[in-house]
Amino acid sequence: MIQFDQPNIANLPELRQIGKPLPRIDAMGKVTGATQYAADYTMPNMLHAQVLRAKHASAQILRVDVSKARALPGVVAVLTADDLPGAQVATDIPGVTGTSKRAGTDAPILARDRVRFMGEALAIVAAEELAIAERALDLIEVDYEPYPAVFTPEEAMQPGAPIVTEPDNIVARWRIVKGDADAALRDADVIVERTYKTQFIDHAYLEPEAGIAWVDENGTLTIRVSTQVVEHFRSIAAALQLPQNKVHIMGTLVGGGFGGKEDITVELFIGLAALKTRRPVKMVYSREESILAHCKRHPFTITHKTGVTHSGRILASQVNLIADSGAYVYLSPYVLLYAASSAVGPYKVNHVTVNAYAVATNNTFTSAFRGFGAAQACVAYEQHMDEIAQALHLDPRQVRRVNYAQAGDTTPNGQAFRGAVWLEECAQRAWDALGETPPPSAPNIKIGRGLASYMQSYGRITWFHDTSQAWVGLEMDGSIVIRCGVPDIGGGQINTLAQISAEVLGVPLERVTVYSTDSALTPLAGTTTATRQMYMSGNATYQAAMAVRKTLAERASQHFECEPAEIDFADSAVFVKSDASQKMPLTQLIAMCAAEGLPRANLSLFKAPFTEKLDPDNAQGDIWPDYTFGAQAVQVAVDLETGEVRVLKSAACHDVGRALNPAAVAGQIEGGATQGLGYALMEDVQIVNGVTLTPSFAEYLLPTARDVPETKTIILESGTGLGPFGAKGIGEPALTPMAPAIANAVANAIGARVPQLPLTPERVLAAIDSAR
Amino acid sequence: MLPTNTHILFHEFDYHAPTTLYEATELLAQYGDSARPIAGGTDLLVQMKMERRQPAHVISLARVNALQGIALNGDLTIGATTSIRDLHQYLTSKLQPPFASLQSLGEACNGFSTIQIMRMATLGGNLCNASPASDSAPPLLTFDARVTLKSKTFERVMALEHFFIAPGKTALQADELLTHIRIPRPPHQSASAFIKIARVAADISQVCAAVRLTRDGNLIHDARIALGSVAPTPVRAAAAERELIGQTFSAALAEKIGKRAAQEIQPISDIRATRAYRQHIAAVIVRDALLRAWERTQ
Ligand SMILES: Cc1cc2nc3c(=O)[nH]c(=O)nc-3n(C[C@H](O)[C@H](O)[C@H](O)COP(=O)(O)OP(=O)(O)OC[C@H]3O[C@@H](n4cnc5c(N)ncnc54)[C@H](O)[C@@H]3O)c2cc1C
Repeated sequence: MIQFDQPNIANLPELRQIGKPLPRIDAMGKVTGATQYAADYTMPNMLHAQVLRAKHASAQILRVDVSKARALPGVVAVLTADDLPGAQVATDIPGVTGTSKRAGTDAPILARDRVRFMGEALAIVAAEELAIAERALDLIEVDYEPYPAVFTPEEAMQPGAPIVTEPDNIVARWRIVKGDADAALRDADVIVERTYKTQFIDHAYLEPEAGIAWVDENGTLTIRVSTQVVEHFRSIAAALQLPQNKVHIMGTLVGGGFGGKEDITVELFIGLAALKTRRPVKMVYSREESILAHCKRHPFTITHKTGVTHSGRILASQVNLIADSGAYVYLSPYVLLYAASSAVGPYKVNHVTVNAYAVATNNTFTSAFRGFGAAQACVAYEQHMDEIAQALHLDPRQVRRVNYAQAGDTTPNGQAFRGAVWLEECAQRAWDALGETPPPSAPNIKIGRGLASYMQSYGRITWFHDTSQAWVGLEMDGSIVIRCGVPDIGGGQINTLAQISAEVLGVPLERVTVYSTDSALTPLAGTTTATRQMYMSGNATYQAAMAVRKTLAERASQHFECEPAEIDFADSAVFVKSDASQKMPLTQLIAMCAAEGLPRANLSLFKAPFTEKLDPDNAQGDIWPDYTFGAQAVQVAVDLETGEVRVLKSAACHDVGRALNPAAVAGQIEGGATQGLGYALMEDVQIVNGVTLTPSFAEYLLPTARDVPETKTIILESGTGLGPFGAKGIGEPALTPMAPAIANAVANAIGARVPQLPLTPERVLAAIDSAR
Repeated sequence: MLPTNTHILFHEFDYHAPTTLYEATELLAQYGDSARPIAGGTDLLVQMKMERRQPAHVISLARVNALQGIALNGDLTIGATTSIRDLHQYLTSKLQPPFASLQSLGEACNGFSTIQIMRMATLGGNLCNASPASDSAPPLLTFDARVTLKSKTFERVMALEHFFIAPGKTALQADELLTHIRIPRPPHQSASAFIKIARVAADISQVCAAVRLTRDGNLIHDARIALGSVAPTPVRAAAAERELIGQTFSAALAEKIGKRAAQEIQPISDIRATRAYRQHIAAVIVRDALLRAWERTQ
């Protein structure tokens, strides 16, 4: 088991900026439109790149003829697989020291002999104008020979199925065994077995994938790109056969990530074209390209077989999970692990067997998406809790209550929950916030209520050996500079660091500037994924700021002739706590330190707990630093005649440890719930026989403001998180419980369950009919 | 290249911004098939980006004052480039009986996706685009609306029913503009209702329906039912209408007529809904619209 220090609550007398809903430092640029996103940058002499996408889901490539495209005036380069011998896209997480992937899972940058999904990249065109690059794509001739294909994981697992990726289609597998589920099932009063399904969904960020690459005056390949991961410079270097210190990623503010910018997107296409042409090259995906050719959320089929007592106590669970990994592996093994390890949810179950498979098909590849497998697991386990209650004629909240895990209870892989485990508290608060159930507005309307509790890790898998670094310094004028490689994907990552250092050094938030997201110039801080930046880079920033504070406090204590612990910092001044007349401007203290050569800056590294890799055949051991817990309650109206579902009220309650900025936390919770509403009710990338039937936002539907219900957000602060000031991550957790809460509310309203997301009116009607 | 509706327009065209109707129709006469009028552009720009239309001349109607505005002079006359939002505000604030009975058109405007679209989209564009999913068409069909088409040299007026020919195809000749939509004075004792079912609030309909009822005591003196997204054009449900006229209104009758209307339509299955679902909900919303309209006649 991992040992932890006491929660990282500072010995600061009172919090002056932490815990306040201060306007985020990135807000003004965003609301006024001044913020530059990756696609806004242009350079002199710049070329525009476009990628030719495969028109078949599974085919051998007999011939690629680019001669006509090359001959088109204005075309500067056309690259195919022949121009880049052997180069692959590394699809593992960059910079980690432990991996769980089988060998040979990388994806080609450009397909050579075979395409495995519709939309796979075949050729890159770079041209003087975007229109010319687009026209050139139409001039490339490709001869395909259809190749046997498989489109569902169930088929792909059958013996004799076409093999998508050698040696077989099961690209990842986890088996978790705790206790003896077979034996314990025999003792059960009732066994409840059900299957739940989830769909492909799209990240649907406002900003599609975009970037611009050039070779600088030192021969360094420089890529300005919208990404969650600047550390991709390493795999880019490997793919392009450059030294790692000759690839420089300059991240931009990101117009939405949600996991979709965790894997490499445009980097290699524009990097190759820039190296080849020695000119700046820009590429922006169209919405259709983003939907067709970049990763999706894994659809899962999850079967629970659960043995319970008459009073609702769960004795044993067998859970089988099958995920569609699409044509390439990418992060499937990890997504699968998240799902497998959280398969029974935040409940105490002593006997568990989990079998989980990620299976290759000729669908668009799947990878990271906010919630990362744990969200799909929650869709299943929380619906299953309601189904158990239904089978036992008990209140679903009662069934949860008797099974909720407490601190010290363990997950199927044997990791003990630590700190506050406020499952019941959150569920109660969320449920109560729904208020009275209103009478239905018409005879054909049924009102239903649903609840979902959840657990979601924050911080990386601990055998990745995760670290983050931040540099914090005070300028002579008393302003703060932070240098940290954190990508800000809109969740307030940068502001969080600013607010932490502002608190520690007693400087107003607006006097903090953060230089971020630069692989060469800012200390590497790791990925903005896995709900880890507040925890990792927040702690690194906190440590660095505390180191600066320590030096300053010592110098000030000499001046004021008191103990360093007596010194405090606020409003750009330094003073003695017990005697407010003993005070000087912070700038004066900084000048004193500068005159004596004392450091006013610090570079700090924060290290997460480290563990060893788990055995895939019986995964036992710790996987994550910690979990966030919470609950979502919703009230829905279902029209029995049309099958329409309207979410009337939504109430979320999460224990975030400490809300460093409550407005930013509420923003995450509201946004996550809305994304979860889309997941539950309308979002669905329909891929049929390898063809994406929802190529744009005319077909792929997202909720808009008009679909969002009245929302209550309740933030609890146990102070037991591992982040600075006892905070826990909330980025991913905010989404996780919404879809099952809605599914439970609909089932409650109509007396029948739609076991497959999204709950379209057609499916709801079919369930109503079958229940009659 | 992948078809996309999110990139900039590549093909070149001449942009004309006439300020009078005469200039506009003259440009149309000159360029004929190679020209396309643009009003709000919410349909046309999407089609141009998808390269379904590549006009060499785009003629903006935005500055032609004669096409704008709403006037009540015996009939209600709506200029073709009146925005959906202006129309909505007019209908919900200014109308006295019998024009107050145009509730369904107000409801259709209100259901028009998002505020951005309502501000840009025009009534004329909605009709000229000739989508079976047009929200304004079913109410207008139930009002016996007439459209005025004008070329440089000739003006004609026709019933809206005859204006729609096929998806994307209207009776407009290449040199004609739609200038006005004219709603005749509604009969007294009438009321209307519009219901739309869509996958999300900001979407075009899976099915929409408009009805207008005119009462005579407890009897239905006149009845109109029109539906969208259930056939190649917006359509009237004539047989269902006939079964209503002269009857005593009841909930059971509304139920029966809803089913009757659903039998009359020939919807297709597409990404928005299956044929079976469309047929099913058509019956429901026609019934509900009838109930609502009848209640409003009281
Ligand atoms: C996001 C989105 C949501 C939408 N939601 C809805 C909805 O809920 N309901 C709905 O019904 N529609 C909806 N639409 C479709 C569209 O907004 C409407 O059809 C709108 O009314 C079109 O009007 P416009 O002025 O923008 O037309 P334009 O795009 O300018 O023109 C449409 C067509 O009509 C022609 N045209 C326009 N005016 C004239 C004229 N006076 N004379 C001759 N020809 C003319 C143009 O040449 C073009 O072919 C939506 C569109 C989008 C993009």
